[in-house]
Amino acid sequence: MSDHCKGAKNELVTLGGRRAPEYWKTLEHRDHGPPSRGEFPGGLPAPGRDDRDDRDGDTTRRDFLTLMGFGAAAASVAACRAPEQKAVPIPVASDEMVPGVPNFYATTCGGCASACSLVVKQRDGRPIKIEGNELSTLFGGATCATGQATVLSLYDEGRLRGPLWKGEPAPWHVVDDQIAEGLAAVRAKQGKVVLVSPTIASPSFRSVVDRWRKAFPGFRHVVYDAISASALRAATAQAFGHAVVPHYAFDRARVIVSIDADFLGTWLSPVEFARQYARGRSAEQPASLHIQFEPTLSVTGGNADQRVPVAPSQLGAVAAALLSRIARRAGESGLASPPDPIDAAVLDGVAGELWQHRGDSLVVTGCNDTAIQLVVHTINRLLGNIGKTVDIDRPSLQRQGDDADFAKLVGEMQAGEIQAVILHGVNPGYDYSDAAGFLAGLAKVDKVGLSISTADRRDETAAAVQAVCPDHHFLESWGDAEPVVGYLSLTQPVIAPLFDTRAAVESLMGWIGEPTTHYALLREFWRSDVMPRVQDARDFDMFWDKTLERGVLELAEVGKVAMPDAPTGGDWRAALTAIQGDTLRAGGEHFELAMYESVAMRDGKNANNPWLLELPDPVTGVTWGNVALIAPSLAGKLGIRDGDVVALGAPGGTVELPIFTQPGQHPRTVSVALGHGRKQAGKAANGVGANVFSLVPSVRGARRLWTDVTVTVTGRREKIADTQRHFSMEGRPIVLETTRAELARGGEKPETQANLWNERLHGDRSWGMTIDLNACTGCSACVVACQAENNVPVIGKDQVQRSRIMHWLRLDHYYGGSEDDPSSVHQPMMCQHCLHAPCETVCPVLATTTSSEGLNQQVYNRCIGTRYCANNCPYKVRRFNWYNYTDNPRFDYNMANPVGRLVLNPDVTVRSRGVMEKCSLCVQRIHAVKNASAKSGEPIKDGQIKTACQQVCPTDAIVFGDLNDTHSRAHQLMHGERAYKVLDDLGTRPNVAYLKKVRHGQAT
Amino acid sequence: MRPLIILIGLVIAVLLVATGVKRLFRMGMQQGYAPAQPIAFSHKLHAGDNKIPCLYCHYGARTSRHAGIPSSSVCMNCHGLLEKQTVEIEQFKEAAQLDRPLVAWTKVHNLPDFVYFNHSRHVLSRAPEFPSGVPCQSCHGPVETMARIEQVTELTMGWCLTCHREHAGVPTNTLERAAKRFSERPKPATGLDCASCHY
Repeated sequence: MSDHCKGAKNELVTLGGRRAPEYWKTLEHRDHGPPSRGEFPGGLPAPGRDDRDDRDGDTTRRDFLTLMGFGAAAASVAACRAPEQKAVPIPVASDEMVPGVPNFYATTCGGCASACSLVVKQRDGRPIKIEGNELSTLFGGATCATGQATVLSLYDEGRLRGPLWKGEPAPWHVVDDQIAEGLAAVRAKQGKVVLVSPTIASPSFRSVVDRWRKAFPGFRHVVYDAISASALRAATAQAFGHAVVPHYAFDRARVIVSIDADFLGTWLSPVEFARQYARGRSAEQPASLHIQFEPTLSVTGGNADQRVPVAPSQLGAVAAALLSRIARRAGESGLASPPDPIDAAVLDGVAGELWQHRGDSLVVTGCNDTAIQLVVHTINRLLGNIGKTVDIDRPSLQRQGDDADFAKLVGEMQAGEIQAVILHGVNPGYDYSDAAGFLAGLAKVDKVGLSISTADRRDETAAAVQAVCPDHHFLESWGDAEPVVGYLSLTQPVIAPLFDTRAAVESLMGWIGEPTTHYALLREFWRSDVMPRVQDARDFDMFWDKTLERGVLELAEVGKVAMPDAPTGGDWRAALTAIQGDTLRAGGEHFELAMYESVAMRDGKNANNPWLLELPDPVTGVTWGNVALIAPSLAGKLGIRDGDVVALGAPGGTVELPIFTQPGQHPRTVSVALGHGRKQAGKAANGVGANVFSLVPSVRGARRLWTDVTVTVTGRREKIADTQRHFSMEGRPIVLETTRAELARGGEKPETQANLWNERLHGDRSWGMTIDLNACTGCSACVVACQAENNVPVIGKDQVQRSRIMHWLRLDHYYGGSEDDPSSVHQPMMCQHCLHAPCETVCPVLATTTSSEGLNQQVYNRCIGTRYCANNCPYKVRRFNWYNYTDNPRFDYNMANPVGRLVLNPDVTVRSRGVMEKCSLCVQRIHAVKNASAKSGEPIKDGQIKTACQQVCPTDAIVFGDLNDTHSRAHQLMHGERAYKVLDDLGTRPNVAYLKKVRHGQAT
Repeated sequence: MRPLIILIGLVIAVLLVATGVKRLFRMGMQQGYAPAQPIAFSHKLHAGDNKIPCLYCHYGARTSRHAGIPSSSVCMNCHGLLEKQTVEIEQFKEAAQLDRPLVAWTKVHNLPDFVYFNHSRHVLSRAPEFPSGVPCQSCHGPVETMARIEQVTELTMGWCLTCHREHAGVPTNTLERAAKRFSERPKPATGLDCASCHY
């Protein structure tokens, strides 16, 4: 591996005696400097400007004084007597539930098919926070942003209150009778019944499907994933004789080559892969080399040592070029030499690195194209990676969708061959490429037979079925999951069902005349099918209780997957030939459109979630909707700028979206995130962004996420709410990086600064935090975790455009180098808890002070909202409540309705209008542990207190602890050679330190 | 004559303003608040005459932030065995059997929403001044003598801080505290941090 440092290519600036590569946030700032240095960057807010809708009305000075006088009098009269408060005790006391004391239950995430193991915090009977289950070896204590936000989906006002029959609410028994009648009629006609579901990670659910198969002769189960790994499964079947998704081990790979697989953000099992990846790339040991080929800058690409922008049509050619180089070295003959799609030297370098690390390298691709997947499988096979970094014997069950099977079903439905269809957890009326065709087929089924959906809301598909039998949210439900063969996880309800919903398993069992409860069925399944696989389990009740408490069960031995014959390796030469037929389409007026899963919205299933809608995309910073990403050079050529709406014309239809220039974007490719543009998801998501699922073409039996496209400038403009333009670096070094060589020399020691203030006396403890920029991948789980823990309000697109986003912890994205091939760094930024805090000295009412334990504390009831502190904060982490987000009808999000409010954490004050707020280092969590320690007399152990952001982090980038304790991890990291404090030269003396990013080598 | 009138006038004005300001500072304070409850439950009878420990019914005070108002089922632990029955006790019995809330009590000791007070931390305190925890009566007054519960103490921030300052060895008198700042730098005390209660 070469020790050539990529960062060194960038121009170095010297500031404060420290070298830093020149980083930038946006091209405007880089090329023209910070936009405005005036006191009011956007101009002085005054009536008549474009913020007219931001004012409640025209108020004259006289009105103002009248109202103020009346207000003051009213307030003083009202304050004379506190309102009477009522208290209603629980009628029957419970041993397990004491009001005010949280309980924690292990369960499994239902946010996507990755099925991460969770521990859910329940307060007074309601789940309020999701955390990872640290007992799980696959996922550890980590979750992703979507997983964090699923607790809010439980309290979604848009959920159905009960079942529907033909669009009208009806009691369960009426709907059941109608369904029984319909199914009997289908049975009499010997008709076909189809269950369409997404990937089912639950083995007990699969046993229910088997019972249907036995009970109904004409039954079929079709697995439909909105974003599937259908081609990967098909290719594995061809190469290794079994249609599965292999289980990858990124931690064992010394060289990782990813061809458009965003495995740190969205691909297959991102939490697990991010954990593995971080293990293989810690700064203290020789790190793995990661090369990424992709059209759109992804979270994964941003972390790569070398990233090569490639047009989507050429990704196959890249895989083919690598295969032909490796096959030649492996002694395969008779290979044609196709022209190289990119610089041959890069391909030579990558192939050389791979060949050198035979057996401990890994090549993956996210392309849903069987030929490309087969080529990649062959590369791994020739490199001897199978059984080492690619596990086929113990495969992943996280993606089971079969695109061809579903396409066949749609054809059959349209032909009237299907008499009954049960749609469980799928929404093809929104996310199928031919949604209109599917809905036409569904209408045919409605005419001749029966259609049922178990959707939790009247979504695009459920609106067109006869019976909607809403399933529980996973937090209300029993269940189990086996994400990877041999790794089991149980799901248990943590709240009684909020609405009149019913577990889909109970519905399905009832309809074949075997009514049971989900709990009984699950226990029976575990008694008969799971316990026999565990060696030392004798008594079922003991085994069950223990497993339910732990939440996870990991089997040491699993039976080998039955393989029909010796693996043939598949016809990879034919696949190579097929790929060579894919030529670059882009040219002249034609571009390629890459459709990708975004970290926040994923496939759009959880779209009606204000937390996810307002989560800035970690790469683009865009919130509330999707945009057409184009390269800055292309925008220049077309003469358009951010916000100009373009029409993207593809064979599947035309979609209009505003453009957004994205550094690192392939110059002939336009990229658009999937999962937006829902029409019937609920109040928050409806009409946000545009749906591009309709443009997804079907190629070689799989839905391929790119297509040819024409770009037409419409001349219209649309506002984009992105956070990338919020605040300016003012040209200062904020993210720092280092090299291995420099670390070997012992790193740079920061200069000691003169101190004008008295040295502050510390209490017994001094809380602090370190954040490892080398480990942070930018997955954004911490941002949502912080929002959930600290009751951070959602403010909507208009307010985000005004830079008023409330996130206490934001994820800044910095670019380095040129806009065509930038390096990138993600930096979680929140209150730095300065010992000499600039905010404190300007507060006229002492509402913000440093605590005896080094926390910068914000006292809401003291704050009068001058906002001086936010102006004086160099880190721009203070957030001001411009409105009462809990009862202002303009902010009709989760906090403004009685169901959504159930998610609020009772241990954190809900702030009202006119109050400043910011990161508290989760002081409520500190108190919880301190209280327990004070009561029991046990000292607090290092690592016992975990902040919300630290707890969810898949890569363990965030470490919190007592800086007075020289043995604490936080203390040691803070005094390590990589530690630095942001803008330390201002003399703020933060208690938060960052660890410099280490640039690794690159393939040459 | 005239200066005297002015002087008297001034004194009266100052007194009036001072009283007004003092009253303003006491605004919202509920010391002496003793609302009628929907059921005339007597703490004197239960905690005083029959010497039932506070924490038997308010068991939450040992583990939780909230001391809690006992559930009907807790009442029935004794009243299920006792012979004397009243209409109210019958109601409690029914509530426990049907698992249905019975009464909405009027809260007497109220803290604002932005204050986090933890009962268990005080009740199980290991501070040297309170070897067996802070007695309930130090904040709630002689509850065992009250037929109807009344807020005896101020429950204001200054009132909380008096006790916390004593515990931390900081003078409780404002002038003394100010004087001490000149002679020595005060050692930080965790119980006096804003974020001990406000977060």
